[in-house]
Amino acid sequence: MTVTSSKGSSTTRTTRPRHAEPVASGHEYIVEVEHVTKRYGDHIVVDDLSFSVPPGRVTGFLGPNGSGKSTTMKIMLDLAAASDGAATIGGSHYRDLPDPCRTVGAMIESDAFHPGRSGRNHLLILADATGIDHARVDDMLEQVGLTEAANRRAGAYSLGMRQRLGLAAALMGEPPVLILDEPGNGLDPQGIRTLRDLLRARAANGGTVFVSSHLLSEVEHLADDVIVINDGRLVTHGALAELQQSVTLVRTDDVNRLAGELTRAGATIHDHGPDSVIVRGMDIDQVGDRAFAAGIALHELSAHAGSLEELFLQWTNQSTTDKDIAS
Amino acid sequence: MTMRRLIRSELRKLTTTKMPLAFVAVLIVIAALNAFAVVAGTDMDGSKAFIATEADQLSLIAFAFNAFMGAGLFGAIAVAREYGHNTIVPTFMASPIRHRAVLAQLTAVATGGCILSLIGAGLTVAAVAMALPTTDYGFLVSTTDVLRVLAAAGFAGAAGAVLGAGIGSIIRNVGGAVTLTVFTFMVAPPLVVQLANDTASWMPANLANVISGTVDDISQPAALGALIVWALVPAVVGLVIVHRRDVV
Repeated sequence: MTVTSSKGSSTTRTTRPRHAEPVASGHEYIVEVEHVTKRYGDHIVVDDLSFSVPPGRVTGFLGPNGSGKSTTMKIMLDLAAASDGAATIGGSHYRDLPDPCRTVGAMIESDAFHPGRSGRNHLLILADATGIDHARVDDMLEQVGLTEAANRRAGAYSLGMRQRLGLAAALMGEPPVLILDEPGNGLDPQGIRTLRDLLRARAANGGTVFVSSHLLSEVEHLADDVIVINDGRLVTHGALAELQQSVTLVRTDDVNRLAGELTRAGATIHDHGPDSVIVRGMDIDQVGDRAFAAGIALHELSAHAGSLEELFLQWTNQSTTDKDIAS
Repeated sequence: MTMRRLIRSELRKLTTTKMPLAFVAVLIVIAALNAFAVVAGTDMDGSKAFIATEADQLSLIAFAFNAFMGAGLFGAIAVAREYGHNTIVPTFMASPIRHRAVLAQLTAVATGGCILSLIGAGLTVAAVAMALPTTDYGFLVSTTDVLRVLAAAGFAGAAGAVLGAGIGSIIRNVGGAVTLTVFTFMVAPPLVVQLANDTASWMPANLANVISGTVDDISQPAALGALIVWALVPAVVGLVIVHRRDVV
């Protein structure tokens, strides 16, 4: 699928900060995952997963720990081979891209550097490998606020500084596609704000931004679209604003009978209170019609905008314990 | 062009940590031990017969096996730590055609192993030459033989580094790679020779001595070829495995 709807009542900033850069190539890239399955022996980590990540939007990639997010990202980047299916970027496998690091910037392992090597040297190594001008290294260090620490060994960096170094590495080639695994981990509020502004600006310039995160509140502020997986399978996808509005709150004295009617019709029911339920998988008109047909009096029928955390837990059927982990 | 960029990147990796300096420090210690042996060492009868002839002195300064083994450890650590520190991830992202990245890595560690071995051999020759005046003997090794010792050390260093790099890419864990490299150099050859006596000439220590000119039970080209085979077998196995294996 290609998500086409726009984010409605987004509170994210779309002004372009000073470090936002134009999409280098001028091309727009769709990242597509088509029927990807990944098995390790008998264990299926990713199970027939299909989705696409459109340009010009920030797409959040959500799922509980061990749900297959990192594996999926590694398959996108040809760091892992799919057992079945394929992941492509602009129609090509990553390995077939003519200039991969100028097309895709990725941060998969937050500590992918030698602890004894300085941040500057880490970036110089990447610049050498990709043919990027060395002057760009100092630009990137300045953009992520690491200029003063550039010559210190990266092993002495805080988690937030490591994240910023990883981000600098991802952005070095001014790529139109960003694939970032948990980029907000360890960042302070200012760093998260800067990251959010930067990613939103990249998307606003036509870039394709794909971000996995456990920071659900951050994704809520950042993402236009979300893709949710659980146990390696696609749970839901779409524009976040629509998904948040796609549940219906129903208040009635006859909760059990209504729940039975709607469940038989294919809806999913979640408890909300002693006399109310949340209905998913059925639009609000149908809910009203079914209740009317069953002769059930309704005291309230309204679109319910759930928080992303609430939705995430419903999508992934997580327990409270898991919720704590995910948050 | 891509290969040149990748090799430059790999060389920068090697020169931006303290590992090469640590190896140079070890080489200085080895050279100092050689000098100490010349100054203070004696044979069983109390004489200094072990440095009395050109052949004796040539044996003392022949560095090729040390180079092969030391550079093997250098290559194993350099490559295995790439996996341990996950720096292989940006490497494979810059070069998703993995055999290019691996070949660049092999070229860089071979260069590093060669240079370190030349330094080691040079330091050893210099240390022995400086220590000999404290004895009754002068430096008897000809310039040609010194050059051959240096060349043999450089070649063995490059080959050893490739061998170690191959092991490092197979094992991916520094401790495991170092252990297997030591096993390959120190433990496996005697075991193989015990099982098949006539293989002794083809073991690394003897091959290194042949190319250094201290023994001649097989020809120089055969010894050079055999050292290349020793180096390439793990390197090729590593290349195949890296090509097929996920980065996890």
